[in-house]
Amino acid sequence: MHRRREAWWLIAPLAIFMVVWLGFPFLSNLYYSLSDVTFETLGSPTLTGLHNFADAANSAAFWQSLWFSLRFAVIATTAQIIIALTLAIALRPLLERYRFLLAILILPLMISPALMGIMYKLMLNEFVGVVPQYLALFGLYPNLLGPDWVVTVVIAIEVLQWTPFALLLLLTALQAIPDELLDAAYVDGAKPRDQVRRIVLPLMGPAIAITAFIRFIDSFRVFDHIYVLTGGGPGTLTTSSSIFIYRAFFQQGRLGFAIASSLILMAFSLLLLWATMRYVLKGART
Amino acid sequence: MSRKRDPGPIGWTWRWLLFAVAALILNLPVVFTVLTSFKTNADINASPPVWLFAPTLQHYAEVLTTPTLNFPRYLMNSFVLAAAGTAIALVLAVPAAYAIVRMKFGGGTIVPIVLMLRSLPLVIFAIPFYFMFQWLGLLDTRLGLSIIAAIINLPFALLFAIAMVRDLPYEIEEAARVDGAGIGMLLWRIVLPLGRPMLISIAILSFIYAWNEFLFGLILTTRSATPVTVGATLFATSFGIRWGPTSAAMVLSLLPPMLVGLVCFRYLTRALTAGAIKG
Repeated sequence: MHRRREAWWLIAPLAIFMVVWLGFPFLSNLYYSLSDVTFETLGSPTLTGLHNFADAANSAAFWQSLWFSLRFAVIATTAQIIIALTLAIALRPLLERYRFLLAILILPLMISPALMGIMYKLMLNEFVGVVPQYLALFGLYPNLLGPDWVVTVVIAIEVLQWTPFALLLLLTALQAIPDELLDAAYVDGAKPRDQVRRIVLPLMGPAIAITAFIRFIDSFRVFDHIYVLTGGGPGTLTTSSSIFIYRAFFQQGRLGFAIASSLILMAFSLLLLWATMRYVLKGART
Repeated sequence: MSRKRDPGPIGWTWRWLLFAVAALILNLPVVFTVLTSFKTNADINASPPVWLFAPTLQHYAEVLTTPTLNFPRYLMNSFVLAAAGTAIALVLAVPAAYAIVRMKFGGGTIVPIVLMLRSLPLVIFAIPFYFMFQWLGLLDTRLGLSIIAAIINLPFALLFAIAMVRDLPYEIEEAARVDGAGIGMLLWRIVLPLGRPMLISIAILSFIYAWNEFLFGLILTTRSATPVTVGATLFATSFGIRWGPTSAAMVLSLLPPMLVGLVCFRYLTRALTAGAIKG
């Protein structure tokens, strides 16, 4: 009993912190989402029932943004895993011999995505940017932030910034494969390609699943680099769910609507989380 | 044994080449920004881009000394919120992790909630926090952003702390208990010293994450508590984008987390991989 009380004392600060800082937002979200409210009437919202939710559910722009985030996350995650896996397998001897080379490759992980966005704004700038200037030498003048290219560009930036994360994780998993297995395969005359397909990939299944899961979660909530680079445009071409809700709230002042949208997004995320935990990660463990 | 066989000169050559290409592509934005920050305006506008030029510090001087830009203050804000957020997260997470692992208490409820917190889009929390901060007078304050940083860091801080306590040798704690050490003594004298490498890992990752946060800084600050990530974007727009000062501002903003990460590279990789395996 004595230990139980001690345990309470140890956990109480965290528990209280979480109740205060998560409980209030949850309640205020619930209340405001059911109300008609503006920045002027924050103190006296009028309850109006479910119409904010109906508005959000009927908003094509909201579903479009959700679709963008999903597509963005799926494509970016797939690309990151493929590139990182290739790099991990190909560069392993080099990175094991010279450990500091890995530090150079994972540098992007230490950079704020927002700053990364501005740096690409500089790189892609039509007057001073290095990318358009070199493309121009080849007679190419694509408008990289125009409708044709912008989605590809924001996905590419995500991939370039976060592939190092996947590389780090997959390299660690690769190093955990017992050497004897590969030795045996080598002695038996297995070609490198077969070694990768028959031994490395199956053994790395769980690590790949977990890495993909983490990257998917993070890509799905993308905001920073798109916000500074395109602001969600041109039009709504690169408006992710996070940007959509931010705009509805801070730029359009549609408070109830923004909150209702964010709650639908939360429900959707939880559903997605539950499904992945249940099917992908469980499958990976066995 | 035979696995460690040398790839041979051709094997090494193409691996070096692949590494060079990957390193260049991944780091090109940083390299180009650093170069731009040292160029004169004429060199910045040169086409095709110049790679060799006489460097100048004029943009750094402008960024750091023009009073209306407020940039040193933004840097200070980021330092304060990243350090305070890290400290709060550690102080809350370590004792709780001890109770969860050694006393089997509360883990069933808290861990799933914290994992959920890690997985949801942050914008969901941004709006209610805006209301709450307005109500409490925390809008545009360093304290407010420190609390946010702690909330953002708590999920992985708690998971890592749990992993840390789990790896500690239980016998030493038992012996200390028998000798009559209270719980505070136990944490202070045994858990903290033995868990130090992991604590450093948590602190470093936490500092970097907090420093790099953008969304809450954008929403919850206007002038006085603005972190550098937001400050640098203000820069990019308020100037009608003058790239020299903007680049200098960006280099100054990305240097602290990058230095911390590089100096403590070993801890950082450990933290990142441990987090993925345990989480």
